[in-house]
Amino acid sequence: MTTAESSIATPTLRAATARRRGFHREGRAAYLFLAPALLFFCVFLVLPFLFAVVLAFSSWSGFDLSTIQWAGVKNFTDVLSFDGTFVRPILVNTLLFAFGSVALATVGSVLVAYCIDRLSFQGFWRVLYFLPVVATVVAIGNVWKMMYQPAGLINGILNKLGVNSIGFLSDATYALPAVTVVHAWASIGGAVLILTAGLKAIPDMYYEAAEVDGANTWRMFWQITLPLLRPSLLFVLITQFIGGLQSFALIIVMTTDGGPVNATNVAAFEMYQQAFKFGAWGTASAMAMVLFVVIFVITLLQLWIARRRGEETS
Amino acid sequence: MRLSKGVRLAVALGLLTTGVACSGGESSGGGGKVQLTLLSHYGSDPAKGGLDKMLEQWNKENPDIQVKSEVVKFDDLLTTLTVRQTGGRGADIVSAYGLWGGQLQKANVLASVPDDVAKGINSSYSPAALGAVTTGGKLLGYPTELNTYALFYNKKILAAAGITKPPATWAELADTAKKVAKRDAKGNVQVEGLSLIQDGDNKSAHPFESLLDAAGGKFLGPDGTAQFDNEQGKAALKLEADLAAAKATDPSISPTKQFRSGGVAMAIQAGWWVGSLKTQMGDKYSDVGVAPIPGPTVGSKGSLAYGFFMGVNQRSKHAVEAWKFLAWLNDHKDDSGVTGMGQYLADMGLIPPRTADAATLRKSLTDPNLVPIYDAATYAMPEPNMPGAYEAKTALHNSIMTVLADGKSPDEALAQAAKAVKPQ
Repeated sequence: MTTAESSIATPTLRAATARRRGFHREGRAAYLFLAPALLFFCVFLVLPFLFAVVLAFSSWSGFDLSTIQWAGVKNFTDVLSFDGTFVRPILVNTLLFAFGSVALATVGSVLVAYCIDRLSFQGFWRVLYFLPVVATVVAIGNVWKMMYQPAGLINGILNKLGVNSIGFLSDATYALPAVTVVHAWASIGGAVLILTAGLKAIPDMYYEAAEVDGANTWRMFWQITLPLLRPSLLFVLITQFIGGLQSFALIIVMTTDGGPVNATNVAAFEMYQQAFKFGAWGTASAMAMVLFVVIFVITLLQLWIARRRGEETS
Repeated sequence: MRLSKGVRLAVALGLLTTGVACSGGESSGGGGKVQLTLLSHYGSDPAKGGLDKMLEQWNKENPDIQVKSEVVKFDDLLTTLTVRQTGGRGADIVSAYGLWGGQLQKANVLASVPDDVAKGINSSYSPAALGAVTTGGKLLGYPTELNTYALFYNKKILAAAGITKPPATWAELADTAKKVAKRDAKGNVQVEGLSLIQDGDNKSAHPFESLLDAAGGKFLGPDGTAQFDNEQGKAALKLEADLAAAKATDPSISPTKQFRSGGVAMAIQAGWWVGSLKTQMGDKYSDVGVAPIPGPTVGSKGSLAYGFFMGVNQRSKHAVEAWKFLAWLNDHKDDSGVTGMGQYLADMGLIPPRTADAATLRKSLTDPNLVPIYDAATYAMPEPNMPGAYEAKTALHNSIMTVLADGKSPDEALAQAAKAVKPQ
C-alpha cells in the first residue's frame, strides 16, 4: 500500500471503527432497555415452554421435580392412539369449536361492523358490542346456561312456538353447537372493533367512483369493502382461531366437566384435567405439544392462503 | 476459558430453574417457637368456625407450637396443593380427599404415618373410614370427614302417589320412580323420579358405585384393575338404563337445586346433604326422609364411603410437632367423652370416623335421617384411591352418561369404561 493510499484508508477505517463502536454502544443500550421485557419473556414464556417440552417426553405426577422420569415418545403414542379419547372426540371437538366460533364470529362481526359504519352514534354501538368482551366468562357462561335450561328463555320461546324442549347442554347432539354459539357471541365485540377500524381505512373515493358507475350496495360490499378489509379480516381470523383452539373457561362454566359424555371436552380442558386432576403431567404436556403443532400449522396455512392472494402478512 | 453466548445463556437459565426448584418450604422455627401451617378447604362456617376454635385452644395451650390455618375452596384444593408443593411452599399439614391419596403417595407428598400413630388409628376408626384413606395397605393420615351414600326421598311426593314406605328393593325403587315422575306436554321435567347424579366431581359415578355395592359388586381391585364389568355391574347399570328409558331419571336435572323445591322425588346422595337440606328447606325439611340404598333382593343394601384425611407433608421441617398436633386434634376429648374432631364433624352433619364417637353420638341423634347414614359406615364400600383411581372414576362417569343421556347399552358402556381403566 502506498503512502497516499494509506492516508486515504486510515480516516475511512477510523470512521468505520467509530461507527462500529457507536453501534455497539447503541446495541448495548438497546439490549439494556429491552432486558426487563426479555427477562419477563424468558421466565414466563420460554422457560415454561421448554419445561413443557421436557415433560412431554417424561413421566411425572407433579409435586416433586426430582421424580421426573424419561418416558421417550410413550406420551405421544398414548395421546395420538385412536383407542384413546384425545384424537376423537377431544381434538375433533376442539377444531369444530374453533372453526364454528370463528366462522360465526367473523360473519357476525363483518355484518355488525358494516352496519355500524353506516350509523350515527358509532361510538355507542361499538361500546355496546364490546361489552361481552369486558364481561367475565363466568357471568356470560352462567347467563347463557340459564337461558339454555329446560325451563329457560330459549326453551320457553321454543315451547311457545309449539316445539318440545331441547336439552341444549344435556344432549350430546346439541351441547357443542350450544357452547360454540356462546363463544362466537362473546368474541364478536373484539372483532367488530378491529373491523370498524379497517372499514374506516378504506378511502371514500372507491365508493364514490362505484356509485358513479351505478354499483349497488351489495356489489360495493362484495367488490370494494370485503377485498379491502382483507388485512383486518386476516388478523381477526388468526387471533380468533388461536383463541378458539385454546379456550376452555367458557366450557367449564357451562358444562363443568366437558360433558355430556365428552361432547364439549376440548384439548385445553383435557390438558388441565390430566395435569391438575390426575397428576399426569407428561400426558398433559404431550397434548399441549400436539395442540401447539395444530395451531402452528393452521396459522401457517392461513398466512399462506393470504399471501397467495397478495396480502401483506409480514 | 470463554463460554459461548449460547452456553452462558443456557447456564443462566439452568441456574434460574434450579433456583426455583430448590426454594424451601415456608414453615420456620424462630427462637424455639415452631410455626406450622395447615392447608384445608374448611373456609366457610360452620367448618371454619369449628376448626378455628380448636386451633385457638391448641395455640393457647402450646405456645411453642403454633398452628396457622390456610384455607381454599374445595375445587381449588388439589391445584393449590400441587402448585405450592412443586414450588417448595407446601403446608406442613394437608387436609385432602382420600381419592387423591394414591396420587399424593406416588409423588412422595405425604410423610409416613409413625407406627404408634398408625396403630392407634387402625384400632379406633371404622372400616369405611380406614378404607377410604388407605392406599396399598398404607395409611395416609388421620381420617376426618366421612360420608356415606343413602336414598333421600320426598315423603310428600311419595305419599301423593300412595306410597307410604321407601323402596326396599330395586324393583320397588324402579316402580316408585316411574310412578312419581312427571313431565308436562312439552317434555319438561316437573318431577324427576330418581336422581342418579351429583353436582360435584362425583357426578354419576358415586350413585352407580352405591348400587353396585348393593348388588355385591366392586369398582376396582386392590391393584387398580376394573372389577365392575360383570353381572353385578351390568345389573346395576341396567336398572339405571331402564329408568332413563322410562324417563324416570334425567341427568340434566340438578338434584341439589331441584330436590328442595319438590322437583326431584328421590335421590342417591351423600350424608353431607342433610345439613344443606336443613338450611335450604327450613320447615319443609320435615318432608325429607332418608333410607338405605336398596339392593336387588329383599334385605340387600349398599353404599359408598368416601373420606378426607389429615396428613403431614414429607417436606415439613417439623414433622414431629405436626404429628403431635394432629394427635391432639383427633384424640382430645370433651366432657361427653367424644373427641373434639368427632364433635366438630357431627356438628356439620357428618359421620365421625372414630367408631367410639359414632356409637356415642348415634345414641343422641335428634334427626332420624342421620341414622341410615351412620349405619351405612358399617357396610359401605370404601372408595378406591390407588394411583389411577381418579381417572378410572372419570372414565366410569363418562360411560354411565352414554347410557343415561345417549341410550347406549349398559354392557357396551361398561366394557368401554373397563377398557379405559389403566392400573398404575
